[in-house]
Amino acid sequence: MAESLLVGAVAYTPNIVLIWEGLRDYFADGPIETDFVLFSNYGRQVDALLDGTIDVAWNTNVAWARTVFQTDGRCQALAMRDVDAAFQTVFVTRAGNEFDELADLRGRRLALGSRDSAQAAILPVQYLRDAGLADGEVEFVRQESDIGKHGDTGRSELDAIRLLMDDEADAAAIGINTWEAIGREELMPGALAEFWRSPRYSHCNFTALDTLPEDVRRPWVEHLLAMSWDEPEHRRIMELEGLRRRWVLPDMEGYASLFEAIENQGISPRW
Amino acid sequence: MVSVPAMQRNKVILDLVERVGPAEAGQVVEVPLGPGQQGLVERWCERAGHRLLAVEGDVATIRRGPIPDDDAMLDEIPVDRQPGARLWIYTNFDCNLACDYCCAKSSPQAERRALGPDRIRELVAEGAEHGVTEIFLTGGEPFLLWDLDEIVAACAARAPTTILTNGMLFRGRRLDMLRAMPRADVALQISLDSATAELHDLHRGAGSWQRALDGIRTALREGFRVRVAATVAAGEAGADEIAAFHSLLDGFGIDRDDQVIRPVAHRGFADDGVTLTIESLVPEVTVTADGIYWHPVTAGHEDQLVSRSLFPLGDAIAEVRRRFAAYRWETRTAAQRFTCA
Repeated sequence: MAESLLVGAVAYTPNIVLIWEGLRDYFADGPIETDFVLFSNYGRQVDALLDGTIDVAWNTNVAWARTVFQTDGRCQALAMRDVDAAFQTVFVTRAGNEFDELADLRGRRLALGSRDSAQAAILPVQYLRDAGLADGEVEFVRQESDIGKHGDTGRSELDAIRLLMDDEADAAAIGINTWEAIGREELMPGALAEFWRSPRYSHCNFTALDTLPEDVRRPWVEHLLAMSWDEPEHRRIMELEGLRRRWVLPDMEGYASLFEAIENQGISPRW
Repeated sequence: MVSVPAMQRNKVILDLVERVGPAEAGQVVEVPLGPGQQGLVERWCERAGHRLLAVEGDVATIRRGPIPDDDAMLDEIPVDRQPGARLWIYTNFDCNLACDYCCAKSSPQAERRALGPDRIRELVAEGAEHGVTEIFLTGGEPFLLWDLDEIVAACAARAPTTILTNGMLFRGRRLDMLRAMPRADVALQISLDSATAELHDLHRGAGSWQRALDGIRTALREGFRVRVAATVAAGEAGADEIAAFHSLLDGFGIDRDDQVIRPVAHRGFADDGVTLTIESLVPEVTVTADGIYWHPVTAGHEDQLVSRSLFPLGDAIAEVRRRFAAYRWETRTAAQRFTCA
């Protein structure tokens, strides 16, 4: 059995240090000692996973897809947050714009987040295609504010909403987490309105290569899933990491729409 | 359709997410505000789990969450030491001694400032309803009061009660008063600073060590649980002195858990000693005739006054718990921010 596991995470906020020092301390009492290293972007992190520098990567769904493509599927998802199993993209507009469905965006301007963000760029384009809108029928106004971090900072989505509020776009596609963070329609009544919400899909997961031994994987995952919302010290970490209540086993079906979108849009497995 | 000014006003939400979201948990962040935006900021902070500390002029000051609830912070303290579990009552401030390190500045010249049995009865009844599980009677010297037996009976009926005394007055009517007290839920904590008279008498007055020792013997003979507490100035008690102290008390059959050694606090008459602040003390709600204080060692000190009003005691206990949780959280986050490497 491996004596320790090295996990990679992308440093998109200073709280990543608090989160991972907390997780490291939590795992110090568990069956597999765990340490962490931070990366500036998901590209570097996936490279480090592939070359064996790290054992596990805390990946976005796009980074997961990259890992699958580059290993021909010889990788595994270990666990995810409860919120990762129920992620959604929300299309919002200014209150008063009479949009009822995606087809109403024909001939209008849609603000998108960074192009490597599943929730605010890749999947929204796919949703438009699925709704019968041909390329060019909707004008994209892209906000590339956090390239490399796959939309984790939320910055490009906030920029997209600013465009919408400044009437430089007619709608914006954002992640459900950003929509929640700005208080949905409740904090700004009469300002913004949601007019379409995507089906649920899967977001982040802990990714390992398929060479990770089973006698390491199982106890590590079991110990992760044993973190309790009712334990104040666990909860502090879980709240910072954005969990609603618990870690869960990955919902693999929830990645199907992203893989379809990547293939459909001809997105490179490396970028 | 929302108006342009209203749309601009709403943009503060984006500023908040952008500025507070990336901040480190516990960090204090300032966000510029425009006219009419305070309500939005309040609602956003409440919803997002951050704490709006102040709005001054055109700036909102916000502590980044998640901020654990008070109960979670308090749960880190053993139940019997959580703020509100112990209730200290200064029965009076006058004393037959004038110890040179007395944190309460008690002496024969000190005004009595007694609480009296009626108020104490009301305090302990209310305290029991708000989680008090242990009561301590202190002063001054409680045995100067002729109604101490009435006070002790009222307290012991509500919770286990300890009387802090110098043990020097167990004679005549006061011995009768001691004998009338219940044994089951009453303990005596008698002050004895050293195994020999020299050090004790240096701070407490000539002959006081012998009379305290006699008091310990009397209390034990009368069947009371006796705890002995030594107050020790820095550098005055080496390992030999402490070993001798324990040896003396072991000889009386006093349990080691009831042999307490504590440093002099830099409070009251003391010229030197441990510096104690609100932030550094785990509070133990302390009632005097002048008000409610953070901790017994700081009773009467304005910097640790919780409330001038003695009633309702439950409000003061709640306030102490709330403030302690906030200090603890601030200390923790400050420690995270100021790591040196």
